[in-house]
Amino acid sequence: MTFVRHAIICLLLAWITQGAIAQGWDTSRRLPIWLPLQLVPNLTWYSSEAATAFGFEWEATPLSYSFGINKHVSPWSSFIVVPTYRFTGSVELNVAGQLYTSPIASSHTGISTSLMGYVPLVERGEHLTFNLGIGMHRVAGQTKIFKAAGFSTLFGFLHFNIKQLSSPTIWITSLEFRFF
Amino acid sequence: MRKHPQIILLSALLFLLAGCSSVVGRFLARSVERIGAPITSVPEKIQDPIRPGAELAITWVGHATVLIQIYDKVFITDPMFTRTVGMVMRRNIESGLDPSSIAKLDYTLISHTHLDHFSYGSIDMLPQDGVLLVPFGALPYTPDFDHRAIREMRPWDVFEEAGVRITAVPVQHFSGRYGFDIPWARDRGYTGYVIEYRGKTVFCGGDTGYHPELFKEIGKKFNVDVALLPIAPIEPRDFMSHNHIDPGEALRILEDLNAKVMMPMHHRTFEQGFDPALTFAVEQLQRIAHEKDLTDRVLVLGIGEQRLFLTGTDAND
Repeated sequence: MTFVRHAIICLLLAWITQGAIAQGWDTSRRLPIWLPLQLVPNLTWYSSEAATAFGFEWEATPLSYSFGINKHVSPWSSFIVVPTYRFTGSVELNVAGQLYTSPIASSHTGISTSLMGYVPLVERGEHLTFNLGIGMHRVAGQTKIFKAAGFSTLFGFLHFNIKQLSSPTIWITSLEFRFF
Repeated sequence: MRKHPQIILLSALLFLLAGCSSVVGRFLARSVERIGAPITSVPEKIQDPIRPGAELAITWVGHATVLIQIYDKVFITDPMFTRTVGMVMRRNIESGLDPSSIAKLDYTLISHTHLDHFSYGSIDMLPQDGVLLVPFGALPYTPDFDHRAIREMRPWDVFEEAGVRITAVPVQHFSGRYGFDIPWARDRGYTGYVIEYRGKTVFCGGDTGYHPELFKEIGKKFNVDVALLPIAPIEPRDFMSHNHIDPGEALRILEDLNAKVMMPMHHRTFEQGFDPALTFAVEQLQRIAHEKDLTDRVLVLGIGEQRLFLTGTDAND
């Protein structure tokens, strides 16, 4: 239920910020591009003492605040996040769903939410960005807190992330393809 | 060049991803092949390109990067100093100026959001105490640079201060930065500029295709001294023609604008199309200029070369 509450809060925030994120473009032009690209899954590898599983992950960003974009545009974005907003420096709320090819404690699915910060390292982040965050991961009825760290390159399209869940220790390694 | 297996594999993958018959795919594959290729150096770069007392000085830095000095004001167009465009497209020849030699910069003009014209890393190599002008639609791609002002310019918008007048003028191109954003940015995010200061007028074409009426209209409004015009990539022509003028069209624009001289740019620095040689565009320009008796109005500079224009005369530096 906690996750559902968080998801509802995210959607509400997204709706509230919609007016601020138009940035001069018609959303109807963006949506037909954003939607199919969101279907491209991340690749993820779940590893614990009890189970290992390869999976696919679909991730969205209900809310993003960019501190690296210029002051003439709103720093807020929702779902459709132009890569420049993210890799120039940002903090964002992500939600994701996972589909594992082998069961983890009898479940093939997982959900997660995270708060992630991005720090530009090379060419304002367009070539290299470091990210650090925390989040919650829920699989087979168990919710665990995780810490995450990673980097992204190629205009923020390619992300490599490692998440550590404690007691017992679980590692989730992801190769993410982020377009927005 | 000895080709590494991983480069060939990556080239093949990019080729397949972009579609076997796609010009973009072939172009990407070719760019990847060049990753390990050497970059030709520019010997004896100008150490101090800003000339005290110069009325008008033009330095071609490479690609669409031109340093323009009009009296005490210094302008740069589409600064590009990095070794690659977008981590993939590698330079053929290094930039003609060391960015650290540009001690003063009043105006940075960005023509559009493409990676070879709006280079974040290059802008960060330059002084940022001046004004940054970007086309309408480019602000969502503009990081929080330290310029004293960042202005978004719609077609025919005028930025004016201290006697400097910069007008955004329409050109024919396209925008976007990451590929997937091209459709939503199709009617914005690109511009040309006309700089006017103390009686001197410079037209900066950025990147453009040819439009029979567009440049005549600009020519009626301004008395252009120097037109900076792209001349490449030329081939494949059916793919390029809407967005990139060829040398013949550049000369038509010279006439449409009724400019005193044109300076070709946007050639030789990167391989952006399938022109048979890096000098193909400039050779074609010189040939057509000769045929049309326009040689005196075409000023071909080498990368890193500067031209000073003095009252009543002009001189090569």
